[in-house]
Amino acid sequence: MSTPYYIPETNVPLPPKGADVITTACDYCIVACGYKVYRWPVAGGRDGGPKAEQNAFGANFPVEALGPWVAPNQHNIVLHEGVPNHVVIIPDKDTKFVNTDGDSSLRGGCIAQKCYNPQKPTRDRLKSPMMRIYGILQPVPWEFALDVAAEVGSYVRTKHGANAYGVKTYSYQYIENTYAITKYALRHVNTANFTFHDTPSDVSSTPGFRDAGFDNFGPAYEDWMNAETLLICGTDPYETKTILWTQWIMKGIQNGQKCIMMNPRRTAGVAYAEKNGGLWLDVNLGTDLLVVNAIARIIVENGWQDAEWIKNWVNNKWGSSSGFGQGTRNTPWQWRTTWGKFQTDGYEDWKKWLLSQDEFKPEYAAKIAGIDVKKIYTAAEWMAKPKGGKHPKTSIMIEKGFFWSNNTGNTQAISALGSIVGAGGRPGQVIGRAGGHQRGGQRGGKYPRNKSPMKLPGRRRRALDTDTWTMSGHTRFAHVIGTTWIQSMCGSQQLAKRFEELTVGNPHQVRSYDKQDVIDTLKQRADSGGMVVINQDIYLVDPIGNRYADIIFPAATWGEETFMRANGERRLRLYNKFYDAPGEAKPDWWIIAELAKRMGFDGFDWKNSNDVAEESARFSRGSRKDFNMIKVAAHREGKTLHQKLGEFGTNGIQGPVFMEDDGTLVGTKRLHDTTRKLSETGPAAGNVFNKKLTHFNSQTGRCNLQKSPWSLFSDYWEWMQPKGNELWCTSGRTNERWQSGFDDRRRPYVVQRWPDNYVEMHPDDAKARGIESGDMLMVYSDRVPSLKETTLGVESSDYSFSGQMKAGNVELTRAAVTGVAMVTRHIKKGIIFMDFLHTSQPANALEGRIVDWISGNYNYKMGVAEVKKIGISPYKKTFRSMSFAPRDII
Amino acid sequence: MTNQIKRAEIDAPRLPSKKDHPAGKCLMSRRKMLFSSGLATATVMVSVNAGAAAAKVPAMVTTYPRKKIGSLSALKVDQPLGFKYPDEGAYAQSMLVKLGTEAGGGIGPHRDVVAFNYFCTHQGGDLSGTYKGDTKSLGACPLHLSTYDLTRHGILISGQAYQSLPQVLLELQGDDIYAVGVFGLIFGRYDNLQG
Repeated sequence: MSTPYYIPETNVPLPPKGADVITTACDYCIVACGYKVYRWPVAGGRDGGPKAEQNAFGANFPVEALGPWVAPNQHNIVLHEGVPNHVVIIPDKDTKFVNTDGDSSLRGGCIAQKCYNPQKPTRDRLKSPMMRIYGILQPVPWEFALDVAAEVGSYVRTKHGANAYGVKTYSYQYIENTYAITKYALRHVNTANFTFHDTPSDVSSTPGFRDAGFDNFGPAYEDWMNAETLLICGTDPYETKTILWTQWIMKGIQNGQKCIMMNPRRTAGVAYAEKNGGLWLDVNLGTDLLVVNAIARIIVENGWQDAEWIKNWVNNKWGSSSGFGQGTRNTPWQWRTTWGKFQTDGYEDWKKWLLSQDEFKPEYAAKIAGIDVKKIYTAAEWMAKPKGGKHPKTSIMIEKGFFWSNNTGNTQAISALGSIVGAGGRPGQVIGRAGGHQRGGQRGGKYPRNKSPMKLPGRRRRALDTDTWTMSGHTRFAHVIGTTWIQSMCGSQQLAKRFEELTVGNPHQVRSYDKQDVIDTLKQRADSGGMVVINQDIYLVDPIGNRYADIIFPAATWGEETFMRANGERRLRLYNKFYDAPGEAKPDWWIIAELAKRMGFDGFDWKNSNDVAEESARFSRGSRKDFNMIKVAAHREGKTLHQKLGEFGTNGIQGPVFMEDDGTLVGTKRLHDTTRKLSETGPAAGNVFNKKLTHFNSQTGRCNLQKSPWSLFSDYWEWMQPKGNELWCTSGRTNERWQSGFDDRRRPYVVQRWPDNYVEMHPDDAKARGIESGDMLMVYSDRVPSLKETTLGVESSDYSFSGQMKAGNVELTRAAVTGVAMVTRHIKKGIIFMDFLHTSQPANALEGRIVDWISGNYNYKMGVAEVKKIGISPYKKTFRSMSFAPRDII
Repeated sequence: MTNQIKRAEIDAPRLPSKKDHPAGKCLMSRRKMLFSSGLATATVMVSVNAGAAAAKVPAMVTTYPRKKIGSLSALKVDQPLGFKYPDEGAYAQSMLVKLGTEAGGGIGPHRDVVAFNYFCTHQGGDLSGTYKGDTKSLGACPLHLSTYDLTRHGILISGQAYQSLPQVLLELQGDDIYAVGVFGLIFGRYDNLQG
């Protein structure tokens, strides 16, 4: 692991004129800034010079502010075709979109340090397949590892059924890989024991958006800038999707936009918004629904709603009842709506319901949320009060702090608020997610819902909850791809305990040199009720790989293979390969194809990643990142899909992509664009005109206005509310650290900044517990609730949290996580905040492993914990690492 | 704490100069400062005190000028003074401040006097005028809001910079404060001493 000392350089080599220039985009957050890689051989010492004619930038050094400066963290040395090469990777100063001004965050800005370099902390990349033999992960050849994995996987699938073969995978790590993985898992293995990295079951992250008819990623980045009022719920984009803030929203604020941030932490973006005339809605955890509906109530009572928009674009009784074109009746949408809790007969009906709910009175909502009631009135006014007869241009952005607190309720409430203020469907008037990771999912198979044994009221099948399924011992073969699984899910420490029992705790362990013996032992493990784990990743992950996996497959990643992916405005870019993957590491699509061929599945004979991309293209048709016509254009011009997309460089093209009659490609600025004029004669050739281009995702193309009863969630909220000495405990990303820190833990500078997990705490809460910044804390709980089995019940009320408690299906467990105290004014009193995914100090261990009983997602952001000082961290009295200064300095 | 000043005075004649080290090397070992700072609150002084021992350590950097930038007695808490270092060229504007609280690399009896370059190591925003006494910080940068903790070697508090704010290394001789080196690459330059 990396040294805790970071010694800054005081010079850096510059790329010479004539250096190779390769375009790519950042690997990390949703925004996906455009980057340029400058590459030149180490041999010969032909570095560039400080004069414009001496370097690849054509710039004189020292460069101007915003110029092509190279920080030492932006330089690395890699192998390219076996030859050592310098690379300098800086944001593209010429890009016209996304990171205009050549801007970048710290995360992407230092992406050169992601590259494998045996002289740097990336030296521990996985370079060879490994197998646990005599308890130790030992390098083995690909053939050996693949043969064993395929044979055991095939056996488990045949003997114990497809649902015994579990696949837990990232959803985003490039289109080629996700296509291959889902084709394999869903179409061929055909297992319902499948889900993505951020959810226990394969369900929508934003059920309310889905029901209302909103795409998660409909808006264009310019819309966030052009809104006159912007409500941002559950995130500070400055911290977690920086360039969306610095290049778009911040410019909007500078132009007079009123920015309202609903979030219990006052980080830099919130502080900036407040300083520039914005508003901070500092709500308690899980109370967003009350505040959102109180805002709606004030709007409705004053008649500030956008009546014209509602008349044209919100469903009336007939529209609400018309089946919505959501397919068969056995759909998530159907069962959510048909039992009367959400569906309305249109605006008047919804209004009647809203006004009849006493908990939405502003005073009550403010009291429970712990905010000044005046803020609710101000927000309502800014969002909807007409000025000079005109409604303000209002947009709404949501992210996980919001939709992972009360998944169904919050997303239903915000969709209704959006609909009545006319957000969605017009420039500067949009509603969508801010986004977390990039959008690299392309399904190569359909989720086999009918094979899931888990059901909900009305006997409707729900996607299988892979965590309770595994806890119950039904997963006999766990295929884990690019996720920590355990620390990413709630109740992490219970999960870890069970994984240990099922894997290394099982008597059937590989203690042999013989391949057949190995295979037989692992089959016996599965037959005895244990679990075999195979893990594809770029680093050895603790504990899933390091402690539990039987076989490790080393994966190649960003820069080591050419891939495609889209960002948060559906902008597709080509991520070019520019250096050699370490050792024998292979891209995930290749690993999957080798397993699939060994298991006897057809259709996996790809030669390269472009082959996979081209095959996946037709499955993207009609989706938000439809790129099929790029392939059609490519083939017309005698090019490959990758070549054609590559021509768009860092500018890329926004999906869905269409082809004009003359063969040129055009993108889609925003979805649900009611101002867009499509060809009157309809789509020609291979083009697909989906309803979502100009309308909303419902049968009528209009939004569904839905109810969002507090009572469906309030029992859990009240039970969870801090008791005694407990504090609300939540978590999230911090600006300087991405995901599990898989790269950041190997960046000395970021390690210096964030050596351990931390616990942000209000000064009053700290004082009451005798805690100071820099103290080492134990954060613990005796009441982490978890479901013993899948939600049990017959009647709909049985499925609620109280119903499950009554049925004895909720177990209270313990959790303990350490962290460094950070006493700060920027967090609301009564709440503590930790990094969500430090693998060694997993904050999710403290969050209830209780799925939202309507959607099937966890409410990750809403737990409680007690906190006590257990000592002093090394950072309290020294000056090298960490900083305890607040994050709201503006 | 007063004995520290004294030590500095005693050691002062041994301070390296260009004349002593014509090879263009500086005894001001940055590595030494980094590793020693904080724990024992030994800062620049340690390497100064190291004298002959330090002379045996291979030098790490090319020569920085030794430039007088202020005097200890004239400094008032939370009132930064501007100066230029290591030269008069672009991005040389820097600040000297008495924080009133102990800091990594701080000099003086309270180890609270530090100096930093004034340009954000993200995209070169000018940080002059952004000093905050309550948080002992520079920023937010007017361009993209980065902030830096001056008690902790200019580490990023929150923001987008690719490294800490370059810290100007200081020495105390009597009441005189000298700038003797820089930690970290100054924005805009490819080499601190060559522009």
